[in-house]
Amino acid sequence: MKNKHVDELIPDYLDGSLKGEDLRKMEQHLAECPLCQKELEEMKLLFSAFREDQIEVPSERLKAQFEKVLETEISNHGQVIQLQPQRKGNNWSNTFLKVAASIALLVASFQMGSVFQQQKANKDIALLQEETLQMKQTAMLSLMENQSASKRIQGVSYIEEFESPDEAIIKALGNRLLYDENDNVRMSAFDALAKFTSSESVKNILIEALEKEKNPSIQVAIIQALVQIQEKKAVKPMQKLLDQEDTQPFIKEQIKAVLPSIT
Amino acid sequence: METLSDELIMQQVTEGNLDLLKVLFDRHHKHVYNFLYKMSGDRMLSEDLTQDVFYKLIKYRNSYNNGSFMSWMFTITRNSLKTYYRRTHKNHEDIGVLAYKAVEEENETMENHAQLQHALNQLDPADRELVLLNRFQEIRYEDLAEMMGSTPGAIKTKVCRILKKLKHIYLESL
Repeated sequence: MKNKHVDELIPDYLDGSLKGEDLRKMEQHLAECPLCQKELEEMKLLFSAFREDQIEVPSERLKAQFEKVLETEISNHGQVIQLQPQRKGNNWSNTFLKVAASIALLVASFQMGSVFQQQKANKDIALLQEETLQMKQTAMLSLMENQSASKRIQGVSYIEEFESPDEAIIKALGNRLLYDENDNVRMSAFDALAKFTSSESVKNILIEALEKEKNPSIQVAIIQALVQIQEKKAVKPMQKLLDQEDTQPFIKEQIKAVLPSIT
Repeated sequence: METLSDELIMQQVTEGNLDLLKVLFDRHHKHVYNFLYKMSGDRMLSEDLTQDVFYKLIKYRNSYNNGSFMSWMFTITRNSLKTYYRRTHKNHEDIGVLAYKAVEEENETMENHAQLQHALNQLDPADRELVLLNRFQEIRYEDLAEMMGSTPGAIKTKVCRILKKLKHIYLESL
């Protein structure tokens, strides 16, 4: 290395990383070469400047933030480890069960909804029907009190609408039969009541009517109805009719004809 | 724990012992910060980027290839700095000019080691980077070669040339 400078080895030499043969040659050359000696001295200055260089210290914020981020990462990491085994295997059946359950829930709630809806509708319909019946009853009762005979007949004929009329209607019809001045109204009332002869109050009304009735055709109809139901209590008023002077002769005949069949 | 090498610690980190990243942070955050500060001359920026570097260490811990930890860490650091300059100074022609100016301005108020920093600032960024990594962070030529995609011999020659240049500038300014 006689004529060759050792610039390239100076840093290594200063670092102390030159060993063996290289180090020996280096020192040999340095001893002979003032140029390289100068170079070495200058480089020493630079290197000491490196060593003396101030180290900048970052703020505490840096460390705090780093540790915060690391904590987050660690907790995320931990969760992943915990969850992984659980998710494996069960994944498919779990999902399937969940889907099945939600479908079942949907169907069940739909069914429940429709059932409740149906119940409510039924209730509503029943309510409506009851309301219309009540309205008809009110209409019927008020019609029967009407001045016009034909309106009263119309009211009486409303009985068709009722399968099992209540006491108020029966009583109203009875009043028509017993006290209405118009023959036709009384006739209609009788026709209406004749359908419910199984009712005790209807029977009583018919018996009472038999005693009071003056119109022969209604009398005949009442007698026939009472005979048909074999009403024993009707015997007395019939015999009374027989004894009365003003009773039509053919009525008396009629009574005579049917009386034996009752007793 | 204190005596374990960076590489062994980092290996344990990749195996899931994330707590050990604290040890690495304590050991090296000042190195990263000082490198960034000498490159950019901006304290706030250096702090932010140091933060960024260690986030990336956490995030990309599994990409650690069991090589030198220092070169891995400084590869990430260099990339962060480059990305930063690419993003923020797209329209400027030269990264180095900006970094240089920034450092110059701050150093006007400083007295003692200003000379060395001033000399460093005269170097172009690639050279400055190499000197800083080799001299201040003591990264070996072999690792530098790997980082820069070069050979250890070429790096050594380059570093020697830069040192001579730096020495010249430094001595002139004294």
